[in-house]
Amino acid sequence: MAEQKEVYLGYSTDKAITPFFQKFLEALDEGKIMKSKCTKCGAEYLPPRQHCQKDMSDCELTEFTEREAKLYSYVIVDFAPASLSSKQPYIVAIGEFPSGLRLTAHITNPMGPPTVGMPLKLAFETQDKMATYKWLV
Amino acid sequence: MGSLHGGKKLARKVAVVAGGHSKFGKRYDATMRELCAEAYKPIYDEGLTQDKIDASVLSYAASQFTGQGAGSALIADYLGIHDKPHLRVESACTTGTASLRAAWGMVSAGLYDVMLVLGVEQMNRVSSATATEYMSQAGDMRWEYPFGISFPAFYALMASRYMSEYNMEHDILAKIAVKSHHYGAQNPKAHLPKEVSFEEANNAVPICRPLNLYDCSLITDGAAAVVIAAEDRVKEFTDRPMWITGIGAGASEMMIQDRPSLTSIPGAKRAGQAAYKMAGIGPEDINMAQVHDCFTIAELIAYEDLGFAEPGKGPELVENKENYHDGRIPVNCDGGLKSKGHPLGATGVSMTYEVLKQMRGEAENSSRQIKDVERGLVHNVGQSGQFVNVFIYERGW
Repeated sequence: MAEQKEVYLGYSTDKAITPFFQKFLEALDEGKIMKSKCTKCGAEYLPPRQHCQKDMSDCELTEFTEREAKLYSYVIVDFAPASLSSKQPYIVAIGEFPSGLRLTAHITNPMGPPTVGMPLKLAFETQDKMATYKWLV
Repeated sequence: MGSLHGGKKLARKVAVVAGGHSKFGKRYDATMRELCAEAYKPIYDEGLTQDKIDASVLSYAASQFTGQGAGSALIADYLGIHDKPHLRVESACTTGTASLRAAWGMVSAGLYDVMLVLGVEQMNRVSSATATEYMSQAGDMRWEYPFGISFPAFYALMASRYMSEYNMEHDILAKIAVKSHHYGAQNPKAHLPKEVSFEEANNAVPICRPLNLYDCSLITDGAAAVVIAAEDRVKEFTDRPMWITGIGAGASEMMIQDRPSLTSIPGAKRAGQAAYKMAGIGPEDINMAQVHDCFTIAELIAYEDLGFAEPGKGPELVENKENYHDGRIPVNCDGGLKSKGHPLGATGVSMTYEVLKQMRGEAENSSRQIKDVERGLVHNVGQSGQFVNVFIYERGW
């Protein structure tokens, strides 16, 4: 059984870390983000899935290298769920990459109110043994 | 092989024959069981006593709020129908209409003739932050929840995109809130029965920008119930049945980032189209609608998904007040989830109860009574659109 490092995506309570998800987290800890690709039909997923949504075949993790995205939509969370109350207010943004793949994460360095279409840059950080990905503006 | 189910034909017509509704609000005077009794009591008083009910669907959306497991057994026992079959179904905020859909299937197929459908939620035994936490757990626990995407945050993501694509200002959303509170103020069952001015609604404290306090539905305790019956039994219970003529259900992607559009809920469009097709009518034939306004933006999107307005034209419907009780398409003239309240599992049943009430001309206040309702529509959405049920009802007298 693979050794389970104490790296979790952000603030997840999902402790059921599978070997597949563990590889994603280890890559994240090294400043990389992995997408997944179906070994049968080639469909790509970000964030990754272990099984292809189209044919249930196994997917393999491959590095996702796009970094520049455009803001598809956003929310400024003023009143947070209890688990994130200490972080409020925070901004959650969906970014869309040129490939069409999207990702949801926090904008951690807002310079002002976000606007749809503004450029975002994907970045990484590990704090308190918790690895995560984030948007920078 | 002979006919199924003791000679009863399949796909029998089914009608709603009675309804009951608890007071919605912060009900520290009651727990789940007492709320259910409050919703069933008017039905009992109309003569639909326990012995007349063959089976029931007794549902709530989230057991975290009360910690009660096997809740349908508790409710059935408290209502004195514990010797009849019952079950609970769950699909977030569509739990109420999912229960009705399940019961309709059983009655329509001939398994039972008369069923009680009851939805309940008791949400105020925990803090607002904890309730928000529980509801955020209906997002993807691996990829969305860690980023603190609360229930209002999902809809704020839709609002931001809608406002950008259609160049809409927040004032349209505030006008929807003003309308909801206008009608909620006239509904004695409402959680927050008070009028709200445009200025208050447009400038309230932010919750999940661009949504503010008055864009958000309430964290509510309450229960609602209806009884449905097969066509050959209906006359035993009422001479004013409300026939179920259209049922459509839809579903959408789990993660909101994966939706092809955030200005529409794809599952709601599919559910609406399926319901219209089954009923053999179109949106222009609907006299009133109860739509799932968990947030003001959700009501706006519902106008468009249900065909009451073209895509991007919902704001014109709002500006022209076509959604008022005397307008072209009256929507949520009971206050909606916004003012009447949103006890998750009760909401879909409460909407059904309101259509029955309006159709029968029994709104408590004439200033919220819609004239001559022949056909009503219920649009009930779960989470951020992962589940949708649309029902169409026709007056049977």
